Amino acid sequence: MSVAQVANLSAEAISIEERSPFQIVMMRFKRHRLAMVSLVLMIFIFSITVFAPLIAPFQVQELSVNKYFVAWGTVDEATGRVHHMGTDHIGRDYFSRLIYAGRISLTVALISVIISETIGIVIGAVSGFFGGWIDSVLMRFVEFMLTIPTLPLLLIISAMLLRDENLIPIPESILKFMGNLLLLTPRDARSAVLIILILAGFGWLNAAQLMRGMVLSLREQTFVEASRSLGASNFRIITRDMIPNAMAPIIVDASLGLAGYIVGEAALAFLGFGIQDPIPTWGNMLAASQQFMLDRPWLPLVPGLPIFICALAFNYIGDGLRDALDPRLKL
Amino acid sequence: MAAFFIRRIFQMIIVVLVSAIASYALLNLAPGGPLAGLRQQQQNARFQINEDDIARIRAYFELDLYLPYRFTRWLIGVPRGPIVIGGQEYFSDLTIGCRKPTETETLNQKTGEYESRITGCKEYVQLKDLEGRRTSRGILLGDFGLSWRILRDRPVADLLLSRLPKTLQLIGLSTLLSLLIGIPLGVYSAVRQYSRFDYIFTTLAFMGSAMPTFFFGILMIIIFSIVPKEAGLPYVPAGLSESVRDYTVPLIGAVEAGSFKDRFLHILLPAAVLTIVNISLYSRFVRASMLEVMRQDYVRTARAKGLTERVVILKHALRNALIPFITIVVFTLPGLFSGAIITESIFAWPGMGRLYLLALGDYDYPVAMSIFFILAVLTVIATLLRDFLYTLADPRIRLS
Repeated sequence: MSVAQVANLSAEAISIEERSPFQIVMMRFKRHRLAMVSLVLMIFIFSITVFAPLIAPFQVQELSVNKYFVAWGTVDEATGRVHHMGTDHIGRDYFSRLIYAGRISLTVALISVIISETIGIVIGAVSGFFGGWIDSVLMRFVEFMLTIPTLPLLLIISAMLLRDENLIPIPESILKFMGNLLLLTPRDARSAVLIILILAGFGWLNAAQLMRGMVLSLREQTFVEASRSLGASNFRIITRDMIPNAMAPIIVDASLGLAGYIVGEAALAFLGFGIQDPIPTWGNMLAASQQFMLDRPWLPLVPGLPIFICALAFNYIGDGLRDALDPRLKL
Repeated sequence: MAAFFIRRIFQMIIVVLVSAIASYALLNLAPGGPLAGLRQQQQNARFQINEDDIARIRAYFELDLYLPYRFTRWLIGVPRGPIVIGGQEYFSDLTIGCRKPTETETLNQKTGEYESRITGCKEYVQLKDLEGRRTSRGILLGDFGLSWRILRDRPVADLLLSRLPKTLQLIGLSTLLSLLIGIPLGVYSAVRQYSRFDYIFTTLAFMGSAMPTFFFGILMIIIFSIVPKEAGLPYVPAGLSESVRDYTVPLIGAVEAGSFKDRFLHILLPAAVLTIVNISLYSRFVRASMLEVMRQDYVRTARAKGLTERVVILKHALRNALIPFITIVVFTLPGLFSGAIITESIFAWPGMGRLYLLALGDYDYPVAMSIFFILAVLTVIATLLRDFLYTLADPRIRLS
C-alpha cells in the first residue's frame, strides 16, 4: 500500500466520523417516521398562519351583513371573494378566522413555552448548583405548586386578570409588539399577553425539576471540575458547562409543552376564561360554535381538528426528539 | 414512623393554609365581585340606590371589613365582637373596616376617561359593630357559609351535597372502568412488545392522550347523538344527567324520564369520554412500568425456576409494575370530589366541576372557595396516603 493510498483511506475514515452532533440528531430523528411527518405538517401549518394576511380572503372581524351560516364555497357577489368554509353565526368568514385564530393560538403557545422553559432553566440551574437553603426553598415551592390542582387555580387567576385589564401593568411596547405579531390592536393584544403569563407562570415547574436533576449530576463530572480549576466563575460554569449539556431533556420537555399549551389555551378559552370572542382563537371558536352543532355539526369540527392535530404532532415530535437526543442510543 | 407522620401532618396544615390564603386573596382582590351590577343600577333613575343601601349591601357581603378580618371570619369564624375577659370588653374600638368609602373621580390622562378611586373613608366599622352580625362558624369547623348567588342565602353545604352524588357517579364509574380495562391492555401490550397489537394499541393510546377532552366530547355527541338521531337510528341522548320529558329511541323503545334506563343512557357518553382518555393514560403507564420490571433479575429468576409464564407475569412482574400506579389511584380521590370540569360542562352534567365554573362566573365566591378548599385538603391527604402506601407496597422505601 502506497503512502498516498493510506492518506486516502484515513481521509475517508475521518470524513465518515466527521458529523456534527446536530447532524447525528437529525439522522436519528429522521428515522422516527411519524415524528418526521408531524414536523413537516407543523411547518406547513405554521407557514399558513405566518402568511395569514395573504391567504385569508376576508378580515378577521369583517361582517357580511345578513349572510349567516352561508354554505361552503359561497361567492361574495360584491367583491368576488369566496367564503371557503362559509360564515359563522354573525356572518364572519369562517376560513379566514380559522387561519388568524391559528396564528394567535400557536404564537401564544410558542411564547409561553419560551418563557416557561427559560424560567425553568434558570431556577433549576440555580437550585441545583447552589444547593443548601436556596435549593430547599425553591424545590418546596415547586412541589407545593405541583400539588395544587392546576385547572381550578388557572380558572381563578384568569377570572381575576381578565376582569380588570389594568390589574397587571404591561409595558406599552410589549403590547405593541404582540399586537403587530398577532395583527391585533395593542388593546386586544393585552388578553393574549395575560394568557401567556398565566400559562407560563404554571408551566415552568417541570422544566425546573428536570434542569435541577441534570445540574446535580453534571456538578460531579470531571469537565466541570476542570473548568473550576481553570478559575471559571460560577456564572460561566452554569452558562457554558451546565446549561448546554442539560439541553436535551429541556428540548423534549419544550416540545411536549407546546402540545400542552395549545390544549391549555384552548381549554381556558373554551370554558370562557381565555381570550374573548371578537379575537379568534381555536378554543373560543369551538366554544362559540358548540351551540350550533345540532344543525351544523361541522362548525365545531373545523376549529377542533387543528387543536387535536397540533397536540398530536407536537407529542410525536417530542417522542422523536427524545429518541434522537438520547446519548445512550448508539447509531 | 410516628415522627415522620407528625412532621408531614404539620407540613400539610401549612400547605392547606397557604393555598387557602392565596386563593382567598385572589378571589377577593379580583375586580367585579358581587357589586358589579350595582353601579349600572345606580345610574337608573327609577331604582335610586343611596349611600346607605350600598353600605347595607356591602355589609351583607362583608365587603366593609378589611381583608385579613374577612379571611379569619371565613376560616375560623372570629372575630365576632369585642373580646370579653371577666365581663370587661377589650378592643371594642378597634377599626376593622370601612362602611362608607369616599370615592374620588379622577381624569386618566392617557385614556381620557374618568375613573373612580377609593381615596378615604367617611365611616369606619369597629369591632363592637360586629355583634349581632351573622357569622359562619368557620370553614375549618365545617361551616361553609351561605351561598351568595346560585342559591341565595342557602348553606353552601346543601349545594355541594346536592351535586356530589352526580360527580361520584360519573367519576367513580369512569375511573373503575378505565382501571379494569386499562391495566390488562397495558400488560398485554408490554408482554407482546412490538407485536401488531402493541403497535396499533400504542398509536391509539398516544392519540387518546393527545386528544383534548373538549373536542373529544363534542365529537362523541356528533357521532353518537346528533347524526344517528337525524338518520332515525338508535342514538344516545346527550346533555344533563336525566331527561325532562319521556322520549323514544329506535330499537331501545320508550324511555321514561328519570328512570334507571334514562339515567343510564345519559351517563354513557360523558363516562365514555373520561374512560377512553383515562385508559390511554393508564395503559401507557402500565406498559412502560411492565417493560421496566420484566428486565429485572428477579423476573429472570422466576422464569429460571420453571414457573409458568402466567405466574411470572401476573405474580412476579405485574405486582411490582403496579407500585407506581398507587400515585394514579390515590389522586383520583380529589378528582372524585371535584369532578371533571371540562367534560361536565360539555355534557351539562350537573356535577361539582360545573358548579365550580358556575360559581366563578357568577361571583358566588363562598361556593367557589369551599370547593377549592376541600379540593386542596383532599389533595394533601392523597399525597400523604400515597407516601404511606408506597412503604407498604415496597419495603425498600423507608419513610424518613
